[in-house]
Amino acid sequence: MNNTNKIPVPEHLLVTSTMVFLLVHSMQVGVGILGFEKYIAMDAGYDAWISILIAGVAIHLLLFMIYWILEANGGDLVSIHTSVYGKILGGLLNIGFSFYFLLLSLTVLRTFTEIIQVWVFPQMSVWMFALAYLLLAYYFITGGLRIVVGMCLLSVILGLPLLLFKFFPIQNGQVDNVYPLVDHSINEILVSAKTSTLSFLGFELLLVFYPFIKNAASSKKWAHFASFYTTMIYLASALVAFIYYSEEQLQFVTWGTISLWKIVDFPFMQRFEYMGIALWAYVVLPNICLGLWAASRIPKRMFNIKQKYILILYMVIVFIATIRIDDRNLIDGLNTFTNQIGFYFLMYIPVLFVLTWIMKKVRIANES
Amino acid sequence: MWKWKKGSGDQQPNHNETLKDLMNKLSQSKDFMSYELEEPTNCVVSYFETMIEPKTINRLILPTLKRNALHSLEAMKNNIPVEGLAVTDDVNIIRHRFMQGHIIIQMKKSDKKVLTIPAVVAENRDVSIPEVEFSVVGPKEAFVESLDTNINLVRKRLTLPQLIVKEVNIGKLTKTRVAILYVEGVANEENVNTVEQRLEDIEYDQINDSSYITQMIADNSNSPFPQLLDTERPDRVTGSLVEGKIAILVDGSPHGLTCPTTIVEFFSASDDYFLPWHLASAFRLIRLFAVIFSVLSTPLYIAILTYHHEMIPQDLLATIVSSRADIPFPPILEVIILELTIELLREAGARLPMKVGQTIGIVGGIVIGTAAVEAGLTSNVLLIIVALAALASFTTPVYQIGNTIRLVRFPFMIGAQLWGLVGVSLVMAFFIAHLLKLRSIGRPFFAPIYPLRFRDLKDAFIRLPFNKQSQRPIQTRPIDSERFNQKRASEKRDIDE
Repeated sequence: MNNTNKIPVPEHLLVTSTMVFLLVHSMQVGVGILGFEKYIAMDAGYDAWISILIAGVAIHLLLFMIYWILEANGGDLVSIHTSVYGKILGGLLNIGFSFYFLLLSLTVLRTFTEIIQVWVFPQMSVWMFALAYLLLAYYFITGGLRIVVGMCLLSVILGLPLLLFKFFPIQNGQVDNVYPLVDHSINEILVSAKTSTLSFLGFELLLVFYPFIKNAASSKKWAHFASFYTTMIYLASALVAFIYYSEEQLQFVTWGTISLWKIVDFPFMQRFEYMGIALWAYVVLPNICLGLWAASRIPKRMFNIKQKYILILYMVIVFIATIRIDDRNLIDGLNTFTNQIGFYFLMYIPVLFVLTWIMKKVRIANES
Repeated sequence: MWKWKKGSGDQQPNHNETLKDLMNKLSQSKDFMSYELEEPTNCVVSYFETMIEPKTINRLILPTLKRNALHSLEAMKNNIPVEGLAVTDDVNIIRHRFMQGHIIIQMKKSDKKVLTIPAVVAENRDVSIPEVEFSVVGPKEAFVESLDTNINLVRKRLTLPQLIVKEVNIGKLTKTRVAILYVEGVANEENVNTVEQRLEDIEYDQINDSSYITQMIADNSNSPFPQLLDTERPDRVTGSLVEGKIAILVDGSPHGLTCPTTIVEFFSASDDYFLPWHLASAFRLIRLFAVIFSVLSTPLYIAILTYHHEMIPQDLLATIVSSRADIPFPPILEVIILELTIELLREAGARLPMKVGQTIGIVGGIVIGTAAVEAGLTSNVLLIIVALAALASFTTPVYQIGNTIRLVRFPFMIGAQLWGLVGVSLVMAFFIAHLLKLRSIGRPFFAPIYPLRFRDLKDAFIRLPFNKQSQRPIQTRPIDSERFNQKRASEKRDIDE
């Protein structure tokens, strides 16, 4: 194996292989999970839960490819691209990835701000909130990947009790809604599976933070485990939504999970969605941090400039974009656009896989 | 204190100074004594009256000099029945010893050679019961201001040849003695070196207390969180030493420091180890809950009453609305008024003499509280919350972190006023980021939560029984991490064997 591309990262900056679980999982779960039910049920109706499983399997395949590429090359995205395509084409692709990660952060931040506007503060000034959130993200990212991973850990821990609240809607739901009737064609289920795949976006970041993993080889199982866990969470969320809503009703609920929080009722607290959204700030934060970190890491690796400067530049871009996109339709458009781009980037992974595979074959043939 | 005087010759050791200059300088002080003895021994005796033990001079030195004819310093050295005598002609050494309470003897006033006799008067407070970290069960000793006594208290509990005591002098003017204690073979050398290095790097004129050291060697001196744990209990210090931590004792300070430490250690009391483990764990959890309550209760009150009143169930809403009906202020103002009152009481109580302080506390608390509610300035629901929050902040076993908690809730209130619950979340995230970044002597401060160390969780939020504590915490990176052999201890027996 060719390990000449190995990027030296100081020992004290590495994260343990277990933490890959957090990295992959917390990047996959973001704002999408709060409202994905509507979109997957659009084509496949109640059978969409099968689509989630199909999408989950596809993600495992892609993860396998990513690990294969990384192990064969032993570097990160930048060095792989350079060795596969050469400096210029590889560089362009790298910049493409950098912008893609930036786009992911922007989408997450803008969507989360919109959720707060819709559900909590209709009059809130977007720029102030975006500024506060970005400053917070900046404080995290300047601490390095390890600090961001720490936030991932806390976000997973805080996200766990939120899952338990799924129990409330089940009590009032119709469980026979989800019995596998399969009244949709395979084609419809596959289209829905494509839509669900988008919920899992973000694990491509592995391509960037791979050199930061201690014992990278043993991290593989954690990445797969994380992806499996994410699939299960999506599956549970979808099932609960299907149990509670009728198929027609589901099309009118934009934020399925948040609407379900409204049902939660304690003697000391009602309308749990306010609490839920406040806690969701922790789930969203690692998303934004990791996205911005990876986006600014790529130019650092390419041009040898300080990551801090690129980070500030990117943050200004995100900040301005967040203010400019101030309309429900624009935000919806942004989400659709990100999803499409994200799908292409997902499809790109098998391409890279095949190219790396051919390169390796050729190299071995040449050597012998 | 005298920083503005920096550069003037008086505080710097003058290398050209002669003994005569020194004596002239010292004789300006009223308590400087110097007299000549004649028969049978001819010599000059000088000392600071206020620094020496009169018994030594009257019963040991003067009788010897008057009874025998001693004509050289060496002869005196052999005859005076005091230990630690030395003959020297180095002015720097003489000055140093003299200032520490040695008596010096010259044969003639113009001589450069002197005999130094240690006669330090030991004016010390007796070892008494701990007041800040009092516990009902367990040892009742607390550190005092004398470094030697403190080291003695630690050594008595840890009779180990491996217990190393290193000493450095810090402070350009005070030359305060600071001792570093650790157990060789357990404590990580890297930690010891870091501590030693940081202590030596301190540039300041005076060290009055160990809290000076805490602030000066902290990894992040702008953090509101203390990064070294201070304690007045010798048993707590020995407990830390055995875990592989390093203790710092400062002469003149009744508080020892231990490091590296973690945030959870600040919420563990020594009681936790004296009680059965389930009780101890329950109390520790209550304490942690109290801290969270203390920080978050008033911000949540602001957030919910200002923005999210839908969250309050109907029956509870009636109670709150009726208590808030006549209040002219918005929740934020109401909270700030009441919180400031409590802070005022606390501050006044801390500054006043003990008995007056108690009275003021009761008078202030009850009278002002009731009057404020009756006057319609604050609601009684809030009064309950604020009083409980203040009470909860006193449950912290370490005084320093209590102060931090006291201050930390104000940013949360601002966050709550800005963006309700989301604002509280954001401020919390900011503090989490800060804690994640924070280090204590280079070791992560937020452990064992992050980096997640399952092994250290056995003594973090709960305390598992001693037979489960076979490993020392990873946090300190001990050289020898085994407390006892777990295998032998956990051999299980079958029924009736």
